[in-house]
Amino acid sequence: MTHAEFEKEGPVVDDQFRLAIDKIPGLVWSSLPDGYVDFLNQRWCDYTGLSMDEAMGWGWQVAVCAEDLPSLVDTWKTVLSSGEPGEAVARLRRFDGTLRWFLFRAMPVRDEAGVVVKWYGETTDIEDQKRAEALLAGEKRLLEMIAKGEALHPTLDALCRLVDDNADGGHCAIRLVDSAGRRVQHGAAPALPPNDRPEQVIVSDIASDARLKDSEWAELALAQGWRACWTQPIMSLEGRVLGTFGLYAETSGEPTPQQRNLIEQCCHIASIAVERMHSEDTLHQVRAELAHVSRAASLGALTASIAHEINQPLSGIVTNASTCVRLLDSDPPNIDGARETARRTIRDANRAADVIARLRALFRKKSVTTESLDVNQAIREVVALLRRDIEASHVSLRTELSARLRPIAGDRVQIQQVVVNLVLNALDAMSTSRDGARRLFIKTEPAGGDHVRVVVEDSGVGVDPADAERIFDPFYTSKHDGMGMGLSISRSIIESHGGRLWAEANRDNGATFAFTLPTSVAVTATGPDDPRVPANA
Amino acid sequence: MTGSSKRTSPLVGVVDDDESVRESLPDLLRSFGFAVDAFASAEAFLSSESLPRTDCLILDIAMPGMSGPELQHELAASGHTIPIVFITAHGGEDARPQLIKAGAVDYLLKPFSEEALVHAVRRALSVP
Ligand SMILES: Nc1ncnc2c1ncn2[C@@H]1O[C@H](COP(=O)(O)OP(=O)(O)OP(=O)(O)O)[C@@H](O)[C@H]1O
Ligand SMILES: [Mg+2]
Repeated sequence: MTHAEFEKEGPVVDDQFRLAIDKIPGLVWSSLPDGYVDFLNQRWCDYTGLSMDEAMGWGWQVAVCAEDLPSLVDTWKTVLSSGEPGEAVARLRRFDGTLRWFLFRAMPVRDEAGVVVKWYGETTDIEDQKRAEALLAGEKRLLEMIAKGEALHPTLDALCRLVDDNADGGHCAIRLVDSAGRRVQHGAAPALPPNDRPEQVIVSDIASDARLKDSEWAELALAQGWRACWTQPIMSLEGRVLGTFGLYAETSGEPTPQQRNLIEQCCHIASIAVERMHSEDTLHQVRAELAHVSRAASLGALTASIAHEINQPLSGIVTNASTCVRLLDSDPPNIDGARETARRTIRDANRAADVIARLRALFRKKSVTTESLDVNQAIREVVALLRRDIEASHVSLRTELSARLRPIAGDRVQIQQVVVNLVLNALDAMSTSRDGARRLFIKTEPAGGDHVRVVVEDSGVGVDPADAERIFDPFYTSKHDGMGMGLSISRSIIESHGGRLWAEANRDNGATFAFTLPTSVAVTATGPDDPRVPANA
Repeated sequence: MTGSSKRTSPLVGVVDDDESVRESLPDLLRSFGFAVDAFASAEAFLSSESLPRTDCLILDIAMPGMSGPELQHELAASGHTIPIVFITAHGGEDARPQLIKAGAVDYLLKPFSEEALVHAVRRALSVP
C-alpha cells in the first residue's frame, strides 16, 4: 500500500487488534513502506500528549528531543532503504515536557514476493536503564580515579558531581572527619547538619523537624532554599565513621528508592576513597620507615667519619688532662697553666657531647610499639601498597592467607617493613625473568600450634644454597644500588619479635623466604629509644 | 725561650688542621721539655723557617690540602729526613703498614696516651 492509497482507504487496523494494541504496556506504532506513520497506539498518544492526527506521518517528530532528532531520522531512513530491522535511541518528550530516553525499534513485514509492505515499531522507555548505565560509568570512573591513586579531594569532588547529575534535583555534600578530628567539606551544597552518629538520618522537612528546632543550621539551609536533607554515615570496613554523606532536596519529602540507592552507592565509594587514602598514608609511613632504615643502614658507611668526629675532641681531652696533671705536679705547681688546660678539657668534652647529640638527632627513630597484630591484615596492607610496584614489574601475585591465623604481638610497621623488604627483593630478583614467568606467591599459615609462618616465594634468579646465610649479612648485596641492609634488618626485626627468618632455594627456579613469629606470648620489641613511649606520643 | 732552648731542646713540629690539637699537644710536649712549633697545614710547615731545624714531626693524616702521607713523600723527595710520628682520628689500623714502610716511626690513634706519645717522640729523636 502506498502513501496515496492509505490516504484513500484509511488505517487498515481492525477494532479488535486496535484494542489489543492499545492495551500493550508499550508505545507501538506502524508505518507504510516509505516511513509514513499510519498508526500509533493510545499509550503513544497519552505519553506524548499528541493526538493521533498530530503524530501521524512525520508529525511525531515534534515529540523527539531536537538534539536527538537528526540522528534518529537518519537511522530511520537507513532502515527504510535497507528493508532490515533496525533500532535507535532518542529522548522523547512526555506530555509534561519531561525528556526520557527511549529505544525505537522497527520491524518490516513482507509479502510473498519479499517486498516490504509495512513497518511495525515499538518504542521502549529505557530512561532507568540509561541512568543506571550513566551512574555505573560514573562509578567506574571514580573507582578508576581511586585505583590510580588520585588525591582524595578531587575524587570526592567528582563523586559529588556524579551525585548532583543523578539525584533528580538533589544536591550532595560530603563531610569527612579526618584523623585529627577536623571536618572537611565537599560539594556545592551547604554544610551538613552537625551529626556524626553512625546511622541514617532522614529529615524530610527541615522547617518542621523537631530534631532541628532552633538549629542555626536549619535556618541556614532553609535560607538557601533546601527543604529536605538525607544523610548517611560513611563507614570504614571496621565500622568507624569516616564522615557523612548528605543529599539535599528543594522540596520536602522522603528520598525516592533511586535516591536512596544513590546515597547507598556513593557512601560506599566515598568509604573506598577515604580508606584508600588511609592506606596511602600507611604507605607513606612505611616508605618513611624504609627511608629511615636506609639512612640508618648508611651508619656503617658513616662510622669512619663519626669516629673521626668523636676521636678528635677525645684526643684533645686526653692531651689537655695529661698536661693539666703534669702542670699541677710540677714544682712549683703551674696553677694558671693547669686552669687553662682544664678549661680546654671541658670545652673538648662539650664538643664530643655535641657530636653525639647531632648523631642521635640524625638517627632517631620513632619508638617501637607492641600491639596485637593480625598478620594477614598487615600483609594485605603491604600488598595493597605495593600493588603498583608489583604491576609495574609485570609480576603476577597470588596470595593464600590462612583464616586460622592467631594474632601475634608486635610492631605493625616493623613487620610490614620485613614483608616490604622481601617483596621488593623478590621483584628485583625477577627483573631479568621472562615477562610471563614472573610469579610472586605470598602465603600465611599456622605453624607448630603457637607460631605463624609467612612465606614469600618468587620465580626469580634464586639464591645459591652456599649464599643462603651470607645474604643476611649487613652490606651483602649483588645490586648496583643495593645497600645490602634489607635482609639483615629484616632478620633482626623478626628475631626481636622472637621469630626466625631464613631463605631456601626453590625446587625449580626462584627463591623462598620464610619467617615465623610466635603467636601468644607478648614480646616487647626494643628500639633505640625508650620502647615504652608509643609512637606519635 | 725559643732562642735559648733551640740548641738545648729538640724541636718537635706538630702539623694538624684541628685547632684543639695544635693547642693541647704543644703544651704537653713542652711540659716534657721539648720545643714545639705547630702548623695548621702541610703547606704552612713546608714554607716555614722551622723546616730545616725540625728534629721530629707529629703529623695528622687527613688534612685539607696536602695530606700527612703526601707531606711525608714530599719531604723524602726533597731530601729531608725528619722522623715522623703519624696521628689520626680515623680509627682504623689499615694505613699503618704502608706508612711505617715509607719510613714513619710510629702511628698513633687519637686519642692516645701521654706515654704512647712521649715514647714515640723519644724513639723518633733517637733515630739517626
Ligand atoms: N628473592 C631473592 N632472590 C634472589 N636473591 C635475593 C633475594 N632476596 C635477596 N637476595 C640477595 O640477597 C642480597 C641481599 O639482600 P638485601 O635485601 O639484604 O639487600 P639488597 O636488596 O641488595 O639492598 P637493600 O639494602 O636496598 O635491600 C641481594 O642483593 C640479593 O643478592
Ligand atoms: Mg633488599
